[in-house]
Amino acid sequence: MWFARGLRRGVVTTRYPARSDSSAAALPTPPAFRPGELTRELVDVMISVCPGTALDRTADTLVFDVGACTACGGCAQVAPQAVTPSGEFELAATARSALIKMIPIRGGQR
Amino acid sequence: MKPGPDETATAEELRKRIAAQFGRSLHIRTLDTGSCAVCEQEIRLLAAPHYDLHRLGFFFTPAPRHADLLLVTGPMVRAFELAARKAYEAMPGPKVVVATGACALGGVYQSDPFVHGEVDAVLPVDVWIPGCPPSPLALLHGLGVAVGRLAEKTPSLTFVADGDGNAR
Repeated sequence: MWFARGLRRGVVTTRYPARSDSSAAALPTPPAFRPGELTRELVDVMISVCPGTALDRTADTLVFDVGACTACGGCAQVAPQAVTPSGEFELAATARSALIKMIPIRGGQR
Repeated sequence: MKPGPDETATAEELRKRIAAQFGRSLHIRTLDTGSCAVCEQEIRLLAAPHYDLHRLGFFFTPAPRHADLLLVTGPMVRAFELAARKAYEAMPGPKVVVATGACALGGVYQSDPFVHGEVDAVLPVDVWIPGCPPSPLALLHGLGVAVGRLAEKTPSLTFVADGDGNAR
């Protein structure tokens, strides 16, 4: 009986990595930033709500450590206009430095 | 190893050898160095029917002496340092160390008298898998990268969203 049911309903195993998996869309993913909407003040607020050490700032750059990001969504809550989920989950890297991203801060300078 | 002009060529050669050796069957030993156990839940899910990592030739082993890959979670508490080193030294070469989760990558705890704060402070990490926790799909991708079967995507990602909300 269970065998027939299995035939009827098909295979449950994902085809990933050969094909994409539909459940990937529902995963929490690290944020992507809109440089035109970022100002230094806004970035400072985002840094203060970040529970880890994922965000840091120099004079005109947001330093985003993807490896330290817990995808909690805190920065997206305080700055929904500047932050959007990246949708990327295939983030494994063979160098730690590859996970540190420089985002230009372009807002408020025009 | 001394860095030399042919270092890149050596790294490429090593990568090919790892892919040739580990391409079909790889045994994984997990090591919890003080994680909250959510990474372990996601790792356990890899063996569930939906992800079924055995179809890809990956297997879990309870003994580091049988393992090719050390999947390390947690911020490496100092009390665990000796055990972590022993587990690494007990593994036969060639061996791969994969740091898993934001704690292991140094994003949650700072180095203090109780924790090192990152796995790389104690063990030579080869692959970093971000996430809190990394989903089973992210872990599968990380294992694929570790054995040279899947390509890395991270170096080409910018995390800059353009106007219509697309990353890259």
